[in-house]
Amino acid sequence: MNLMKASLGLRIYFWVVVAYMIFPVLIVIPVSFSSSEFLRFPPQDISARWYMAYFNDPVWISATVTSFRVAVLSTLISTTVGTMAALAISRAPHRSQTPLTYAATVPILIPHIFIALGVLILALRLGLTDSEITLALAHAAVAMPFVVLITSAAIRQIDPTIERAARVLGADPFRAFRVATLPPLIPAIVAAAIFAFFVSFDELIIAQFLMKGSETLPMRIWADLRLDISPVVAAVSGLLIVVTTLAMMIAEILRRRTVRTLAP
Amino acid sequence: MSARSYLWLFLPALALLLLFILAPAADLLRASMFDPDFTTEHFARLVTRGVYIDVMLRTIRVSLIVAVCCTIIGYPIAYFINLQPRSRQTILLFLILIPMWMSILIRTFAWIVVLGRDGLLNEALAAVGLIDEPVRMLFTSGAVLAAMVQILLPIQILTCYAAMTEIDFDLIRAARVLGAKPRQALMRVFLPLSLDGTITGLVIVFMLSMGFFITPALLGGRQDTMIANLIEFQVQRLNWSFAAALGLVLLLLTIVMIVLLRGLGRMAARRILKAGL
Repeated sequence: MNLMKASLGLRIYFWVVVAYMIFPVLIVIPVSFSSSEFLRFPPQDISARWYMAYFNDPVWISATVTSFRVAVLSTLISTTVGTMAALAISRAPHRSQTPLTYAATVPILIPHIFIALGVLILALRLGLTDSEITLALAHAAVAMPFVVLITSAAIRQIDPTIERAARVLGADPFRAFRVATLPPLIPAIVAAAIFAFFVSFDELIIAQFLMKGSETLPMRIWADLRLDISPVVAAVSGLLIVVTTLAMMIAEILRRRTVRTLAP
Repeated sequence: MSARSYLWLFLPALALLLLFILAPAADLLRASMFDPDFTTEHFARLVTRGVYIDVMLRTIRVSLIVAVCCTIIGYPIAYFINLQPRSRQTILLFLILIPMWMSILIRTFAWIVVLGRDGLLNEALAAVGLIDEPVRMLFTSGAVLAAMVQILLPIQILTCYAAMTEIDFDLIRAARVLGAKPRQALMRVFLPLSLDGTITGLVIVFMLSMGFFITPALLGGRQDTMIANLIEFQVQRLNWSFAAALGLVLLLLTIVMIVLLRGLGRMAARRILKAGL
């Protein structure tokens, strides 16, 4: 037994577990192309019927548009605020860095249902429920820790002397930042924005508690799954699986590229 | 930028945290105790009714089972990825990361497709002649556990993996040179060094399980209700104060359990280090 090489048993085990993680998700795609009224595997015949049903149903489309709008607003907020916080942490004196990082990432540790309930009760008192802006801000608070973690990792790779050099050469603080520090951070910021987008786009509980008049996509899926499962959900899931996979691959590549190009 | 400017940069984040995390938490505390006058009625109801105690115990039990399963299943996976050459590691990590970022709602729905009456598993079992009639798999505790472990597994794998990348493989080589058998080197050098990260992963998975809501609601039956489901039920009935009390109890139980798990984990780690298994 060589410790530096995986045994055949371990190799097989690895692929079995990967199948367990990925297979249930993949199976949704063929099912979504069924023409039957019921979710069935294997599908009897191939059709795009439920995809058409999705695109032609104003309820589904409006839920998708609402989610998109909220997610874009939330992403803009969380990415800006989170990147600023990450910069603040990197510039803080050494002993303050850990407490600041803890403070900025604490929402990860709190159950979403707790945040949802708290935001709902407070918003009820202030008359701020049923507002897409409240929802987007709440989503931004939940997504911000991810932005802080991703951009912090990239900032750590940057040589601070370059910005200092720009300052010495006469650039004002903002220009020095824009020219020296910002450009190498862009891929990480874009990656963070993609993650933040999906944190909001996929979030159910806060939206479910806060929104009464309009509906987000997860709320629509939830309502559908609770009543009777229509195959439209399979079509929506199929679309989301493909879109999420593509977006996450781009985000991961960007995130890795920052780390690689900046590593000494 | 001057050294002091970092505080200004942190201000927006602080505002977001104050307005959407801290203030709501404080208001939750208020709502659970003032209805509208000071009362402990909601907490009393929680601890005196057997049903609620059952739900709390179940939430802890399910979360523990899920955390332990994720650790046992995930640890060898992280170890396997660590053994691969760098370029291959990146590709294998993708296989773990992609499902991790998939919507939990969609991943739970996928289990309905697999476990349903006319689902994949029933059809497959019938096709090979193992069963004559569809087996009821949906709305069982097993379905909830299988899905929760599948959903949280990537997080444990990545945490273990991150801990393992910090380990200097030369230490294991040194142990081998000094006469340790492969299994000994693994158990006495590699395992103790990766233990801290593994316990961190276990705690994170436990913590996330405690707040699970979608999966027990869609895949479980009445017997699988968790605290979060109870909270949603109370919100639907507009029982804000009782829901708030439940929310606080959920947070409190989570924090107490985290402290306990960390303490126990440290103790176990020290024992393993001493005894060398």
